[in-house]
Amino acid sequence: MNRNKGVIGFACAYTPLPLIHAAGFQPYRVLPNVDCPDQAGHLLHDNLCPHVKRVLDRAMSGLLPDLKGMVFMNSCDSMRRLYDAWKAARVGRNVVLVDLPAVATDSSIKFFRDELEGLSRTLERWDGAVIDEASLAGSIGLYNRISALFTELRGKANRSALKGDSAKLQEAYNRASISSPEDCIDFLEALLKEDADIQQGEAGVPVYLFGNMLPEPEAFALFESCGARIVSDDLCTGSRLFSAIETGGGDMLLNLARGILERPACARTFSAERPGSLGDDVAAAAKKTGARGVIGYTAKFCDPYIARLPGVRESLKREGIPLLLLEGDCTLRSIGQHKTRIQAFVEMMR
Amino acid sequence: MMKEYFTDLEEGIQGAIRGGNSSPKKFYTLELARLGRRLYSGTDAIAWCGITAPFDLLNAMGVTSCFVEFIGAMLASTGVVGSFIEETDHTGYSSDACSYHRSVSGAAIKGMMPVPEFLIGTTNPCSGGLAVLENLACRFGKELFVLHIPQNDSAGNVRFLADQMREMVAFVSRITGRKLDNDLLRKTVENSNRACGIMREIFALARHVPSPAASRDLSNFGIVMALFLGGEQAVAIAGAYRDEFRRRIDAGDYGKSGGKFRLLWIQNRIQFRHGLEKMLEEEYGTSIIVDELNDITWDDIDPENPYDGFARRSISIPFNGTMARRVEHLKKLAREYRIDGAVNPCNWGCRQGTGARGLIENGLKEIGVPVLNLEVDCVDSRKFTEGQFRTRLEAFMEMLATRPPLWR
Repeated sequence: MNRNKGVIGFACAYTPLPLIHAAGFQPYRVLPNVDCPDQAGHLLHDNLCPHVKRVLDRAMSGLLPDLKGMVFMNSCDSMRRLYDAWKAARVGRNVVLVDLPAVATDSSIKFFRDELEGLSRTLERWDGAVIDEASLAGSIGLYNRISALFTELRGKANRSALKGDSAKLQEAYNRASISSPEDCIDFLEALLKEDADIQQGEAGVPVYLFGNMLPEPEAFALFESCGARIVSDDLCTGSRLFSAIETGGGDMLLNLARGILERPACARTFSAERPGSLGDDVAAAAKKTGARGVIGYTAKFCDPYIARLPGVRESLKREGIPLLLLEGDCTLRSIGQHKTRIQAFVEMMR
Repeated sequence: MMKEYFTDLEEGIQGAIRGGNSSPKKFYTLELARLGRRLYSGTDAIAWCGITAPFDLLNAMGVTSCFVEFIGAMLASTGVVGSFIEETDHTGYSSDACSYHRSVSGAAIKGMMPVPEFLIGTTNPCSGGLAVLENLACRFGKELFVLHIPQNDSAGNVRFLADQMREMVAFVSRITGRKLDNDLLRKTVENSNRACGIMREIFALARHVPSPAASRDLSNFGIVMALFLGGEQAVAIAGAYRDEFRRRIDAGDYGKSGGKFRLLWIQNRIQFRHGLEKMLEEEYGTSIIVDELNDITWDDIDPENPYDGFARRSISIPFNGTMARRVEHLKKLAREYRIDGAVNPCNWGCRQGTGARGLIENGLKEIGVPVLNLEVDCVDSRKFTEGQFRTRLEAFMEMLATRPPLWR
């Protein structure tokens, strides 16, 4: 199969990367942490999530690779508005919005499967390869390999055996999100083979990190400089994008749909049977990883998290786990302001 | 407090009507009061819902249902919303969120929201509304059913949503123990169609030049009438408006609405008391003659097979789908009503509605309709600075006065 059909942009961790790859394209995450002028306000209100505005800033500044098309997921109001604004900013370019259910029931998984089938037809129209069961299974397999490599890499980071620690891990996530899976596997394997660099001295306080957009490795370096050790994360720009998809057998599109909708969820996806369960899930994950505290980092104006954070706070309080909530704007402009708060939080847990 | 408020409101309006002081707005407000009283009666089976839930279907199942934003609007209109919003903010809820939802959450925390039998969340119009319903389900310990409203009305999407609504009926039956009576459903759908047919007539009359609609006549009308669909009261309210608008046109009685400029109001109204509409009418001879949601965007629903029709209706709401679709709808309204200018209140915290205000402004500009974007919280009166808004509106009026007429 021709593997050089071009680059497809995406902006959400729910994007079906294996499908894009199976069509012969390289998925490329349009990350928000690129320095460019603020222009999104021409099209979007200032109260929209900074992730969306920064991605649009990139589009309006032309700071993008040559994209064959852009795939948006209907993950939240802001992402839907980004799709609208992207079309206005890049008139005539290929762009698609894929609908994404908020709950993972059998019927919504089937609906999402049909959405993915529609996306595969769209990718074909964008000169992509015809996707069959075998090619999709192959692509899912590659991404599952990446998921396994990241699991190993997180283990290495947890043993303080990864040069650069969690900042290095975040760099790897960022690189993986803009690379072909084949290249990604190569560099992750190389990273795993690098010599251990066991650090001496006082170990950092183990902290569990959750939220949405935090792609800046410098932010992770800041956490560690304040005495925290990130033992696990659940971020859109971290582990969530590369969770494994169970293939089993049968309809690969259905497997992919199920795998994406049932992976560790960001706040926009929830269980109607367990309303308010995000807090309990965060608490359980923190306990499982042996974290002594939790840091929540969310982009400002993110409605799905705004509504659920009080519940997360309650759940962690019940479990006696300290919580520090930070809000960011997808830049490092104000990261220094968080330093004192992080230091005090870590000091409290020592 | 709320039960007494709605009971007093109902009695007050009934008294006024009995005393000969009736108007379509009074019939409409009377039904609002009755709905509020039922919600707080402690005896009705009630459901808190998202805005695009099929309320007539729930009415047919004997459930008093309401979208939660209604409570936020009510608290705002009664001038007590501040303490409820503060209650929510004290839990760690960001003040960047929508005040409709913050006030509803505060009401629930303070025990001012009646406990429902169940909740129906809808993915349209917004992520924040669905999140609040999830939170309420958690707080009340009640079951939540989520309707995913697809982005367009492709055959597959309509089938998917129609099937969800059938599942919803089974869900409601399981919880309430009530089966859906097919004869009653048929009658309900027929009533919905009748009411919507009359609403089309109302909107057609409101397009008349001059318009018989004054700024407050149809405020919140389209979105709230959805709560009454299926019952005779929706038909009666709509009929009262239609007859009054016909009378005004026949009599040439345009009152304050026979104005100089005709405005389109985008999204929702400012829900608390303020003097801007009065200022526009009395000082500038300008009326808001159409609101974005005052439109019937769906076809009549087949009483024999209503689910596809219910699904198409939910999908058709202008807030759903792409901004291009929404802008086309606004352009359609602007042309039909011969609009001179549009006001977008840009409710703070509303990502879905306000988010793409630049696209709305650009879209209406394509047909020559200027848009005034206001930065306002439509629910939280504490943030309202009327003097500044007056200045903005006055400047907008002066600008309109310098332009050649848009429609000849």
